[in-house]
Parts: sequence; structure tokens; C-alpha cells
Amino acid sequence: MEAAERLRLGTVPGPGMPPAFEELFRKEYARVVAIAHRVVADSDEAEDVAQDVFVSFYRKHPADAHYAAPWLYAAAAHIALNVLRSRERRGKRDAVEALRRDAQAPDPAQAAETAETRSEVRAALARLPDRSAALLALRYSGLSYEEIAAALGLRQSSIGTLLRRAEDAFRKEVAK
Amino acid sequence: MSDIEDMLSVPEPNVDPERALARLRARVEAERITPVTRAATPPRRAAVSGWLKGLSAAATVALVATVLTVSGLAETILTIFEPKQIVAVPITTTDLSGAPSFDTYGTLTWTEQPRPYDVPDVRTAARESGMTVLIPANLPAGVGAPRYGVMPKTTATFTFSADKTRQAAAAQKRTPPPMPANIDGSKLFITGGPAVVAFYDDGTRPTGVTGATGASPFTGMPKLVVAQGKPPVVQSDGVTVEQLQSYLLAQPGISPQLAAQIRAIKDPSSTLPVPIPMDMATSKKVTVQGVEGIFVGDSTGLGSAVIWQKDGIVYGVAGTLTEEQVLAVANSLH
Repeated sequence: MEAAERLRLGTVPGPGMPPAFEELFRKEYARVVAIAHRVVADSDEAEDVAQDVFVSFYRKHPADAHYAAPWLYAAAAHIALNVLRSRERRGKRDAVEALRRDAQAPDPAQAAETAETRSEVRAALARLPDRSAALLALRYSGLSYEEIAAALGLRQSSIGTLLRRAEDAFRKEVAK
Repeated sequence: MSDIEDMLSVPEPNVDPERALARLRARVEAERITPVTRAATPPRRAAVSGWLKGLSAAATVALVATVLTVSGLAETILTIFEPKQIVAVPITTTDLSGAPSFDTYGTLTWTEQPRPYDVPDVRTAARESGMTVLIPANLPAGVGAPRYGVMPKTTATFTFSADKTRQAAAAQKRTPPPMPANIDGSKLFITGGPAVVAFYDDGTRPTGVTGATGASPFTGMPKLVVAQGKPPVVQSDGVTVEQLQSYLLAQPGISPQLAAQIRAIKDPSSTLPVPIPMDMATSKKVTVQGVEGIFVGDSTGLGSAVIWQKDGIVYGVAGTLTEEQVLAVANSLH
């Protein structure tokens, strides 16, 4: 991107933001959004979560910390789950409405049905224990067992078992 | 595609990192959010003195306890007696990085080293610590069985040294006020603990009283930690709290705001201040177990802690839980 274009977009480095942080942001932003999106199923809300994740990291951790990426992934999953739970508490209609704008479908009736299905699945995810829900969010966002272990502070050798349990619990919740 | 992958599938989000970065930059500027600095981070870990380190191995309690110790200032002044109540003292990152460390003023010698260890059950924890160990009647969903650790009573002697203070100041090109003659060479006798810490998890995480290190902020932070211990007691061989307070609060690096807050503590000889880093946590007074305590919330909303003192014991309940959950656990201790 040209400097002038970046200036127009307001993306020239600010005086207080360390270049290492901006580099980290550019490298990990899409993945953090993807994790949050998998949980909340709403792209706008996922980007809001990603903003909170990076602000939180910015406040507390140096940008070149060796644990930066796993920290961001874990925080994305946990903060997104908090958002999802508060949405669920507001009621089913709100939850479905929140997902309708992201439900791409050729006709309104199909969009409503997609939103309803996604909402039911997210309600089931919200009922799972934190760690199980985070495991599913991270795994189905494409993280490896090694990355999940680093993010959630688990042993890599336990991930397979824990994931299977989380999947079983999730299926049961969806079937309720 | 597996059934779960199918259920959780969402359309690929269309993200623009540059635009998102611009949004973040605007927020950082509007809210005057400052990044953590290298200078502030390492001392927070390095200066943790042993018995607190063990006590606070894994939880939000660690944040509070570590900060308490790292300021040096706080530990020196505030534990020079027998605290019977606690009070929150908001501090800033600048206060943390600017405050001189404990060893700037003299030498600490352990007479009984802090050596935390795991014990198999609550009965053993009670026997080894000599305390009645309270356990929660109710636990939130997702919290498993506890693991117990004991921190035996620990003692140390601190000897003030005007020479050492001068050398430390010279190394930092600073000019501290001269150490009063009655402080130079005087001794503090510090006793900490015993303490008992219960880590509640489902047993798959490598946490324990000896602590865990890892990449994630959630590593070493079990779902729930319940800690209790005798508060630190410090005896002096002559120097009074007022003399020390007056000397230490005049040191370079202590902000006038922090000094004013500490001076404002009505009964410093029996009050244990709990420093709350304002940019990382929020705090408020709460009633817990019928007494006044402090609730501390991590600014991300992911962690909560409550600390109180009752019948000569300081208690802490912390975890990756909500305020309501942490308070419910604290109030159910019996």
C-alpha cells in the first residue's frame, strides 16, 4: 500500500503504537477474527471481539512476547464466548436477529432458517463449560493440537481426548 | 466435513487488517491507552519475594500480591506490624516501574526459606499449616476437584543500609534523600504465612503450588483458586512506621499521588494496602463473610478475585469466573 493511501486510511503508524505491535496485529488479526467469528457467527461482532482482544494485549504485554499468538487465540475464544453468553441471556429472538445479517441466502425465508439454525448451535456452544467450548472454537478455526495446547495451557497429549469429550458434549447439547 | 465442522461453519469473514488497525489506533488514542513497557514487566516477576510467590502461584491473587511486593515501598512500610484490615490503593504502571525495589535499601536474609509444597488432601493441608482450612460449599459448573498446596511459615530479616542505598541511587544517576541515621543499620524481622492454597481444576492442567509457566495468560490460571494465610507481620528493632513512611515516600520514583494515598491510610499500623493497577484491574468494596473485602476485576472481564481478612487470616478467592461466581464461592466457605 502506498504511503499516501495509508495516510488517507489513517493507517500510518501512530506516535504511541510500537511498530512490533502493528506487525503482530497485521499478522494475527485475520486469525483472531476467524476464531471469534466461529463462536459468535456474526462478522461485525467478531471484529469487535478482535478489537477488545488486541486492546487487552496492548495494555498488558509486550508485542514481541514469545507467547503473543497463543495468548491472542485464547483470548479471542474466551471473549467471544462471553459475548455469545450475554447474547443468549438476552433471549432467542435477539440471538436469531443478530445472526440474520450474516446469513447469506438467496431468499429471506432461507436466510431466516440459516440464522435460526446457527442460533441454536451457538446456544448449545454457550451451554458448554468454558474450556470445552474454547477447544471447539480453536480446533474448528483450524488450529493444530500444538497451537491449542499452547493457547489453553493444556498438554498436547491430552488435546485429542479432551476434544472428543467436548465434541460428544456439544452433540448432546445440540440434540436437546 | 464432520458434523461439528458443518454445524459450526460460518462464511469466511471479509477482513481488512489495515482498516481494523486504524480503528484500533483511534480507540487507543481516544481512550489514552498506553502499551505495557519492557521496563515495567520484568521487575514484576523478578522482585516477587518467595513466600508471596508460592502463595500466589496461579491466580489473579498473584497480580495483587506481586504488585504489593514489587513496589518494595509497600512491603517495607505496610507490613511492619500486624494488619487487621485491608484497603485498595489504586496505582499506575508508572508507580510500578518507578518505585525502587526492596533491595535498594538494604539486604534481605531468609532465616526460613519459602518452600511451598503439594499435599494430598485438605486434612493434610490443615495439619501441616496448623490452620482450619475453609472449603467452599458450592462450586460453579465446570470446576473440578481441588489440589492443595501448603506454604510453611517463613521468616526473614531485612537490614537497612545507607551505603547500599547511595550505591543504588548512583547507579541510576538519582539523588535520594539521605537515610536518617536511626534507619541505617536497623533491622526488620518479617514473618509470612503459613498459607494454604487450593487449586480447582479438572486435573489436566499442570498447575500446583509450585506454579506453572506457559505461553497463555490462562496457563497457570486454574478455574478457581482459594487461598488463606496468616498475614505478614513485621517487627522492627527501633524504627517506627512513621519514620520509615516519611523516608520512603520521599524517594524519587514515588509519585505524589501514590504518596498521598498511602499517607491517607488512617491506621497504617494495622492496614494492609492491596495495590490495584488501574490500567489492568478495577476494584470495589464488597461485603464477604460478613466483613468488608475488596473485589478485584481483571479489565478484560476474564478474571475476578475477592480478598478479605477475618479472625486474623487473610483469604482470597480468584479465578476465571464472574464477580457473582467468585463472591458466591467466597461466601460459601465454611
